[in-house]
Amino acid sequence: MITADIEAFWDAIDAELAALPAAAELEPMPLHSTDTATLYFVRLTSIGPYRISGYYSVPRTPRPAPGLLLTPRYGSVNHIPDFHDRERYAVLQLIHRGQRLADEPFAAEYPGLLTLGIESPETYVYRGIVADCLRGMEFLRAQPETGKIGVQGDDLALMTAARRPEVAAILASDLMLYRLLDAAARSDAYPVEEINDYLRAQPERRASVADTLRYFDPLYHVGRIRAQTMLPSGDDAAWLQPLRDALGTHAQEYRITHRGAEDNDTLDAWLAGQLGAEPRSRFLQNV
Amino acid sequence: MTRVQEIPLNATMQPMPLRSGERVETFRIAYDSLDGVRIGGWYCVPRASHIAPPYPGLLIVPGYISEPTLPKSWAKLGYASVGVAPRGKLGSNQQYNPGYPGLLVDNMVDRNTYAYRGFYVDAARAVDFLLGRPEVDHARIGVHGASQGGALTITTAALRPDAITCGAAGAPFLCGYLDAPRLSRSYPYEEITEYLRAYPERAAAVRETLNYFDGINFGPRIRCPMLLYVGLQDDVCAPETGFALHDALSCPKEILSYAGCAHDAGGIWAAPRVQAFLAEHLQPAGALVSA
Repeated sequence: MITADIEAFWDAIDAELAALPAAAELEPMPLHSTDTATLYFVRLTSIGPYRISGYYSVPRTPRPAPGLLLTPRYGSVNHIPDFHDRERYAVLQLIHRGQRLADEPFAAEYPGLLTLGIESPETYVYRGIVADCLRGMEFLRAQPETGKIGVQGDDLALMTAARRPEVAAILASDLMLYRLLDAAARSDAYPVEEINDYLRAQPERRASVADTLRYFDPLYHVGRIRAQTMLPSGDDAAWLQPLRDALGTHAQEYRITHRGAEDNDTLDAWLAGQLGAEPRSRFLQNV
Repeated sequence: MTRVQEIPLNATMQPMPLRSGERVETFRIAYDSLDGVRIGGWYCVPRASHIAPPYPGLLIVPGYISEPTLPKSWAKLGYASVGVAPRGKLGSNQQYNPGYPGLLVDNMVDRNTYAYRGFYVDAARAVDFLLGRPEVDHARIGVHGASQGGALTITTAALRPDAITCGAAGAPFLCGYLDAPRLSRSYPYEEITEYLRAYPERAAAVRETLNYFDGINFGPRIRCPMLLYVGLQDDVCAPETGFALHDALSCPKEILSYAGCAHDAGGIWAAPRVQAFLAEHLQPAGALVSA
């Protein structure tokens, strides 16, 4: 359940975004365009102000296409959207502050980004990163060629959908900010290990870190979501139960098989069905 | 590689207390490579109070868009582990930075300046770093990675057959990569498709260049045992290319294939097999400590 302090915090960010023109620039990328989709490099202004970017691909069809926001991965590089997605969706791969192609003046470090400014919600780098995703959604919503809009990614997808009710479907996996302190206690794998490194060096800050992360944990936001939300779960099905409970009837569950192609095809079909697109497999069967 | 051996390594190690712990000490490292490019990476080594040296060395090589691995978990198992950042990656991009997309096709018409000429050497030079460490047993050095890391596993084992004891390569990229773009619409190979669509007249030059860098052509040089693993529905690195690589190896070899798996290459089932394979050949003491 979202609390009043968290709500006020994010309302203030929305107000900051509203006060800043996005000043969108679209530059065609002919080398990466195809017979079926045109690719643009997009620049937008987010809070800070900070100039972020993204790849925006538009199908070469006369009718509106479903929109799809791909929130950024945890890492310095984001791929151009997949060929099959570009044929079906007006798709924006957002690039948040600090990642390559949005790394001036701030270049993110890996490891390091996950704990940058974690001393308070106001200084935590994810305050800006979530705002970047919200800005990306606003851009996509404003494009005349987009119909229904879906969002796909990790916690950032959930946070974006929670703050932007126009989202029609959400596919969220590989969550990182969700129950992050609990996750850190269970794992020594990066990027979660960044939290353990930080708290080992500064154990006296555990309480303030916990307080900061409360503002960014999707658990406290998904109660606002009204769209169908697919949450693929791993072998520990109980891990996501609090999130499913918070989503209520909007939660859709899929137990992953660890056979990546099968899982991808199943989840692709679910999202395509929600958005009115045809399902596709990325694996080319007959070549 | 003859020319590379004449370049002083000039290795440096900077302790990283923030990334260290009771069982593992972590360093940021750097060394010189081809064309005077300074290469960065991570070095994680067991603390002597946890496991006494000497340690087997393990080189962890990164995927195409991955950050260089901070291999603390391998060090906990008893390996002196390097996670290398070949040129262009974060930590090694001050002098060369073609970007992503970009790396795969940078100077692809010229074998003498193609991106992977230096990139392959940068990974192989990490072996020299390990050979320069007194706590590492020079007779036990392995290499492991998946995707582009799988390709670098192959090329490193081939370029340093004198030093590499074993290698484990998942979903190997850059193998059969004259043909691979026809079998995929996924990045990174899509970069080649796009490049040749824009510049079809350069196809012959590209073909000539890539022959020098194709992992399959490195296969016959490898002498150590190799473990390969592939997903039979891999949309990024088509499984045919992994099997072609396997056919080209004349060393002791095994290939694991996983139905229904994509570029994950059956990771959840392959990972323990990889760990057991490396332990069999490199004999880390970590398993004894944990027992």
